[in-house]
Amino acid sequence: MSQTVQLPNVCEFMTRHLVDVFDTMLAMPAALVPNAALPHFEERITGSVGFAGDTVTGAVYLHLSTPFANRVSAAMLGLPPEEAVGENDVNDVVGEATNMLTGGLKSWLCDAGANCAVSTPAIIRGAFAVEAMPDVAREFLVFESGAERVIVEIHIKLN
Amino acid sequence: MATKILSVDDSRTIRMIVGRTFKPYDCQICEAGNGEEGLAAAAREKPDLIILDVTMPVMDGVTMLGKLKEDPALKTIPVIMLTAESGRENVLQIAKLGVRDYLVKPFKEEQLIEKAGRIVTLQKKPAA
Repeated sequence: MSQTVQLPNVCEFMTRHLVDVFDTMLAMPAALVPNAALPHFEERITGSVGFAGDTVTGAVYLHLSTPFANRVSAAMLGLPPEEAVGENDVNDVVGEATNMLTGGLKSWLCDAGANCAVSTPAIIRGAFAVEAMPDVAREFLVFESGAERVIVEIHIKLN
Repeated sequence: MATKILSVDDSRTIRMIVGRTFKPYDCQICEAGNGEEGLAAAAREKPDLIILDVTMPVMDGVTMLGKLKEDPALKTIPVIMLTAESGRENVLQIAKLGVRDYLVKPFKEEQLIEKAGRIVTLQKKPAA
């Protein structure tokens, strides 16, 4: 076991992992904005993937503004940045990006001795906040990618 | 004759990336959206290589791989697992099932070409 499953360590891993996902799959820079206020998106697209095991449960949410989700989708699909991408394709790209983020976290958790399984991705569209369940720790990581903001929301409960 | 590659992934995005990756090469790409469809496509198309996702609805990649290895007509088709999960347990589990290689998402297209090129012949298409 090379790491301890505690929220700060999870956040540190997820920060590195999001930067890697953006760089590798999108060729886009992303950098953590420390102590950032949560941006207000009029409309957002959120990918979510849950994870569950004997000693750990939770979920990862990836929040993108609707225009930025379109640009991210164009980048992953190899289209020009301003090309409109169909709703189903945007959903699929955001879901897959969330799946990569959570798959990485699952591997990190399993290597730390907290075995768990992950769900398939779900997509939520709208202007809303995700409620955390009681006893579940929640952390927001805000990233900057060019002029855009990306939020990774982590819910985790250690049993 | 073109190298036939079957991409099995529930994400259309990943199937598109796989298709784009092999576009410069003389390859024919077939697609399936889950393990069940993947098994049917493998039996129908007899691909030279399968690029297989792990976490999928209906039938996951590990189950599909197990069924593939039980089928005398399909068991020799080489498989590269494409997974978002790189944990030791996960890697050991898929290694035991007889995959030729695996690639962890996120991945660069050249990594996929490098791994596929070790298993099948990838002939660059002549410049148009």
